[in-house]
Amino acid sequence: MIRFDRVSKTYKGTVAALRDVTVDIRRGEFVFIVGPSGSGKTTFLRLITKEERADEGEIWVAGKEVGELPPWKVPYLRRNIGCVFQDYRLLPDRSVYDNVAFALEVIGRSRHFVRSQVPQILELVGLGGKMDRKPNELSGGEQQRVAVARAFVNRPLILLADEPTGNLDPATTAGIMRLLERINQYGTTVVMATHQHDVVDAMRKRVIELDHGTVVRDQARGIYGMVDA
Amino acid sequence: MAIPSPYVLRETGSNLVRNIVMTVAAVVTMAVSLTALGGVLIMRQAVNQATVQYQHGVEMIIFMQATASQQEISGMHQELVSMVPSQINRCFYVDKAQAWSEFKQIFSGEPDMVKVMDVQKMPPSFRCVPARAQSVSVLAAKFQQQAGVLDVKYPGQAIKEELARFATLRNVALVVAGGVMLGAIALVVNTIQLAIFARRREVAVMKLVGATNWFIRVPFMLEGLTEGLVGAVIAFAVTYFARNTLASFTGSNPFIPSLPLYVSPHAALLTGVFVVVVGALVGALGSGFAVRRFLSV
Ligand SMILES: Nc1ncnc2c1ncn2[C@@H]1O[C@H](COP(=O)(O)OP(=O)(O)OP(=O)(O)O)[C@@H](O)[C@H]1O
Ligand SMILES: [Mg+2]
Repeated sequence: MIRFDRVSKTYKGTVAALRDVTVDIRRGEFVFIVGPSGSGKTTFLRLITKEERADEGEIWVAGKEVGELPPWKVPYLRRNIGCVFQDYRLLPDRSVYDNVAFALEVIGRSRHFVRSQVPQILELVGLGGKMDRKPNELSGGEQQRVAVARAFVNRPLILLADEPTGNLDPATTAGIMRLLERINQYGTTVVMATHQHDVVDAMRKRVIELDHGTVVRDQARGIYGMVDA
Repeated sequence: MAIPSPYVLRETGSNLVRNIVMTVAAVVTMAVSLTALGGVLIMRQAVNQATVQYQHGVEMIIFMQATASQQEISGMHQELVSMVPSQINRCFYVDKAQAWSEFKQIFSGEPDMVKVMDVQKMPPSFRCVPARAQSVSVLAAKFQQQAGVLDVKYPGQAIKEELARFATLRNVALVVAGGVMLGAIALVVNTIQLAIFARRREVAVMKLVGATNWFIRVPFMLEGLTEGLVGAVIAFAVTYFARNTLASFTGSNPFIPSLPLYVSPHAALLTGVFVVVVGALVGALGSGFAVRRFLSV
């Protein structure tokens, strides 16, 4: 589903953010990307959505080589990928319902489709009763659920989450993780960057550890800091 | 490019309203600039229409009074004939009926004007080509005195004056139009920039979920297009209703001495279409520039 083949990325005037990264993530996997701050986790995710370009190597996403995609095809790539962030990135002047509906409207989905999908997805994330609230009338955990609903409403092949629980307390974090696991069970490939040990340790999923832009560990059913399985 | 969806129209509308002050400023400057441009075109049409009367080398028109007697007219005719070829090269006579049909043609768009006139009120005229152009003012002064003559025009000179006045007006108006247009473009670009800034969160989400570039850009481009169009329509209304005032700036009507220069509604309409097209183009190009510059993808 996602394959990095000897990928390197250097931002202007800094040391390499990713160095010779080769990784293969299969359909339906749940993968953690871990590593200290500045190790290249966010860069890894931004290369998948082509928000950044690789300097070297090939990146294959859903059967396409991202570097070869002409700019006009990039939006169609992104329709296959849902994204969730630490800071939610909701639209503050729109209701919960409208935030999720927006993601479908702007890719030209029919009204009928929007009306049938949005309540269903909000029910799934446990916000069926709060569809008319504004984001600032929700807790952090609830806001992140809206963001997950927005990322998932178009049933993407891939869900990327960049420290989605970074701002949340442990109980709320557990709730979000259960939600991501559930989405993963529907068949969506989930890639989550984090530096929260307990989150990784509790899930026992595949762990890819980055350090200074290189993959130092790639372990099935790993925990955050362990060197040997 | 997709057909504007309800989404696109709604966004365009709310963009326009969000920044009402800037929008109004952009529209007004656009209107001022395009009015100057439209004014030039109207005046040019008036001048063209006036000069049309003086084709075939005609350099002098002797207008007889509408009430001139048959003797006065035939007297004038004989006198003119006697002056050929030493002083006059050739002349032809335009009788009341011909003058009336010419009048109806020129004023075809103005039925009210045609209604109050009739064939009996038309001045017959002699249209002459003098043997030597320099002698025309002497000849005119001579005929001016004669019985039954309403007026003598020697438009060669009148037209020269009119063209000179028009050229000055045109140059001033074009400089104004150009300068104000630059301001209008800057304001359009600026309103679009503000709109993009106000909606940066929405734009970021749209990119994230895979909205196409066109889908993201179209509401902003429509906003610029609307500003250009509204400005142009105002400019069109002003030039259309003030067309005869504008025409009179360049001089009086050499054809019917008692009437001002005249631009038909039809001709003014064509000018209006041109002005509207220019406004739409400038609005679209300005917003297109802003979108390219400030909406990185
Ligand atoms: N837009 C950018 N321009 C220049 N350098 C950048 C940019 N984004 C990231 N970097 C640099 O690239 C390296 C990797 O950054 P990245 O954001 O991928 O790390 P990260 O693992 O996500 O860190 P964190 O855990 O703090 O979010 C860092 O050295 C960072 O300073
Ligand atoms: Mg990061």
